[in-house]
Amino acid sequence: MNAVEIDQVSKSFRLYHERNQTLKSAIMRRRRSVHEDFWALKDVSFDVPEGSTFALIGSNGSGKSTLLKCLAKIYWPTSGSIRYNGRMAAMLEVGSGFHHELSGRENIYLNGSILGMSKKEIDRKYDQIVDFSGVEQFIDQPVKNYSSGMYVRLGFSIAISVEPDILVVDEVLAVGDAEFQEKCLQKFRDFRDEGRTVILVSHSMEAVRDMCDHAAWLNKGHLMTVGDVDSTIEAYLGGKGAHGAA
Amino acid sequence: MSYLRTVLDSRELLMYLTLREVKGKYKRTLLGQLWSLANPLAMMVVYTFIFAFIFRVQPDPGDPSGLNVFALWLLCGLLPWLFFAKVVSGGVDSLVSNAGLIQKVYFPRVVLPLSLVTASGYNWLFEMAVLVIALMIVGAWVLPWLPLVLLMMLLLAVFAAGVSLLVAVANVYFRDTEHLLSIVLQLWMYLTPIIYPLSLVRNLSNDVGGLLGTPITLLDIFRLNPMERFVAVFRQLLYDNRWPDLGDLTFCIVSALLALALGFWVFARKEKGFAEAL
Ligand SMILES: Nc1ncnc2c1ncn2[C@@H]1O[C@H](COP(=O)(O)OP(=O)(O)OP(=O)(O)O)[C@@H](O)[C@H]1O
Ligand SMILES: [Mg+2]
Repeated sequence: MNAVEIDQVSKSFRLYHERNQTLKSAIMRRRRSVHEDFWALKDVSFDVPEGSTFALIGSNGSGKSTLLKCLAKIYWPTSGSIRYNGRMAAMLEVGSGFHHELSGRENIYLNGSILGMSKKEIDRKYDQIVDFSGVEQFIDQPVKNYSSGMYVRLGFSIAISVEPDILVVDEVLAVGDAEFQEKCLQKFRDFRDEGRTVILVSHSMEAVRDMCDHAAWLNKGHLMTVGDVDSTIEAYLGGKGAHGAA
Repeated sequence: MSYLRTVLDSRELLMYLTLREVKGKYKRTLLGQLWSLANPLAMMVVYTFIFAFIFRVQPDPGDPSGLNVFALWLLCGLLPWLFFAKVVSGGVDSLVSNAGLIQKVYFPRVVLPLSLVTASGYNWLFEMAVLVIALMIVGAWVLPWLPLVLLMMLLLAVFAAGVSLLVAVANVYFRDTEHLLSIVLQLWMYLTPIIYPLSLVRNLSNDVGGLLGTPITLLDIFRLNPMERFVAVFRQLLYDNRWPDLGDLTFCIVSALLALALGFWVFARKEKGFAEAL
């Protein structure tokens, strides 16, 4: 059984030489803009098995975040399709949508509902969220008084409490102190043990080797290899080395 | 229609976004919610002074209520207009100012402009309640008309939502829409008989006669403005205390439904591209 099936997904962006984003220029020059198409993803197909922890690796600008945003329904693929089996949630940035003047408590409800939880669900998970974040002492303070680490902790705790069948994570792990990072890693392990699927992007090969069982290597929008984590990393590091030498 | 479903399904999110607007705005202010009354009251004082005392504008007394208070007559039209203007001018950058959220989280984007309708609606309800009390104090018999007033408020909210969705989408692609809009809204306000009675336009229109040799009069053109009809109906209910004119009411219903349908249609077509275009 596959949690996610990615079928021939391509995504192009318009690169503007001259961006005309005003009515004035549109009317005066009678055309919107000069642009060319740039393919950030080209014919990417692979399956993510259910219950796996799946890594996307590749150098900067290779299209990893673009693929995650397609998975998260933020971008729509130019062509191709993505099928999900189960509830999907994405964590591309934690704490987006926090309102600075509102308290931590109010933001839990706001952010939780943005992430698609019902009020009942948030009520039920409220204690667990506050507990995990470790900011209960400040929960009635406006979040603008939080340190950036506390902000991230709270955001992460809300996002993780969605408990989706499929969790999509961009490089959000590199924040918080060592203790919190360990907590997050443990949470991902729990996820795996509960049979949930995690798809993540990371540049740290140790972390990937440690956490993941499958991986896919993207290069300039093309899928290079996909398979078990060790062979993919090996191909990636080898390929990069060959690239550097050339 | 499937879009209405989406909106219904995200009503809790809409509620929290509304709370974010309402609470975030007046947090840490001394008078809190009372500030939302300050703007209409200040405008009422200024317009009453200028138009009733200096220009001597005299609207007809309420029929059958017999009311003859310029300030209250003004507010019956001004409060609905201010609500509409607030929804539309706030809605226009509701997508652009939430770009960070749109690019990071998936949720039905339509709740962003709609949350401004509900948040402004909440303040408007409060303002209208104060107006109704004032009307009752001077002897208007408003109570039996309140259900219809509430229905009209809902209808105006639908109209405002539709217009707001359209301008919000336009602003994603043409960032000067919001500047253009603020000019348009000013013109629109003065072209709507809010601070002067429609009878003045009627007199002028009768003097001029058919425009350019056609039977179309200036008054006909004035009455194409949906906001003119809304203001008229609100005055008939609140100030005159009588059944609204059936033609006006129909015009309001049709324009509200058309605006919302068009707004949803455009929004649904463009929604998928927002994250890239922002
Ligand atoms: N909204 C956009 N408009 C135009 N081009 C874009 C847009 N988003 C991404 N791109 C381009 O697509 C390519 C892939 O970007 P992406 O963010 O997916 O890379 P990445 O693999 O996540 O890189 P990194 O490791 O640095 O995070 C880049 O060349 C980038 O310039
Ligand atoms: Mg990236």
